[in-house]
Amino acid sequence: MKDSLNKFIHQNRDSFDDKQPGENVWRKIAATLPPKKTISLWNSVSVWRAAAILCMGVGAYFFVTGRQSLFQKTEMAELQSEFLDLEVYYTTEIEEKVALISSFDEAEEPDQFTQDFQKLEAMYQVLREQLKTQPTQKVTDALILNFLVRIDLLNQLLHKLEQYKTYNKGKHSST
Amino acid sequence: MQLEARAEHIHDELIRQCLQGDNNSYQRLYKLYSRSMYNVGYRIVNNADEAEDVLQEAFISAFKNLHHYRGDSTFGAWLKRIVVNKALNQISKRKFERIPENEQWDIAEETEKDELENFPFTVDKVKRAIELLPDGYRMVLSLYVMEGYDHQEIAEILNITESTSKSQFNRSKKKLKEILTNSRFKIE
Repeated sequence: MKDSLNKFIHQNRDSFDDKQPGENVWRKIAATLPPKKTISLWNSVSVWRAAAILCMGVGAYFFVTGRQSLFQKTEMAELQSEFLDLEVYYTTEIEEKVALISSFDEAEEPDQFTQDFQKLEAMYQVLREQLKTQPTQKVTDALILNFLVRIDLLNQLLHKLEQYKTYNKGKHSST
Repeated sequence: MQLEARAEHIHDELIRQCLQGDNNSYQRLYKLYSRSMYNVGYRIVNNADEAEDVLQEAFISAFKNLHHYRGDSTFGAWLKRIVVNKALNQISKRKFERIPENEQWDIAEETEKDELENFPFTVDKVKRAIELLPDGYRMVLSLYVMEGYDHQEIAEILNITESTSKSQFNRSKKKLKEILTNSRFKIE
């Protein structure tokens, strides 16, 4: 059945798939999926905790001291908009890592790590509020530090999950 | 070919993650296949809204039955079959005669002539012409040329005989040629 129509369509097959479905299709499909599993193999490692606690401490410190110094209005606006870009960048990075972590199937009860992570997120929200009213370099520094510590925690968790997975694979293939 | 095999392998991993309840992987699967599957459905129902309904129903059904996917065919082929079935259901809802039942369709197999030599048409023109085909013609033509099913498979999908599928296909090519070459069809 090698005629010219066939040939023509095969040569241009991709161009025939030119139509795109609307955005709402996925939303409707997603609504039917089972609720998202929370993955929490949050086996705490003391280093993580130390880092998390340090970051919370730093956040709390700047929360208190940051109130004392007021910037000029322009500087405030500049600082805020500068931070917005960083926020987008870091939030995306965190979301990607969290998504990656949720792709692992080892689901356990949340423990210390989850709590630490949640505290960091809460602290972030507090600092974020402060940035609106009294933006100082110290506050943005604390916010970025908060991001970095969270990313570091996620990286370590990912590493751990990878190891766990490889270990499990080895176990399965041997049985 | 090797690349395709690798892509399929990656998707197997995605499917495994879906089965373990990872919604992110569902979305990735959707992103990977939604465009091509939407076009498969579109070519059958020939309407954007209905094609979206088909896509939605097909993915919901595929995700629900993902554990039935055994990897005998590629995931794309498995999914495509679901889309085709949903699209056909959609068509039957319209109460159109999908393939006319009367015997005039069961004509003797025609000898194939290549009447469109050199094929002097553009993709857009061909697409437009296919959209102008009557439902039955468009379905057989799309399933055969676009989706890569053979006449035996099309016969099974459309619940017709293999020879009907063949004759329908020949007729649809003739009709397509007529649309492409006849100026009374405004497909520019």
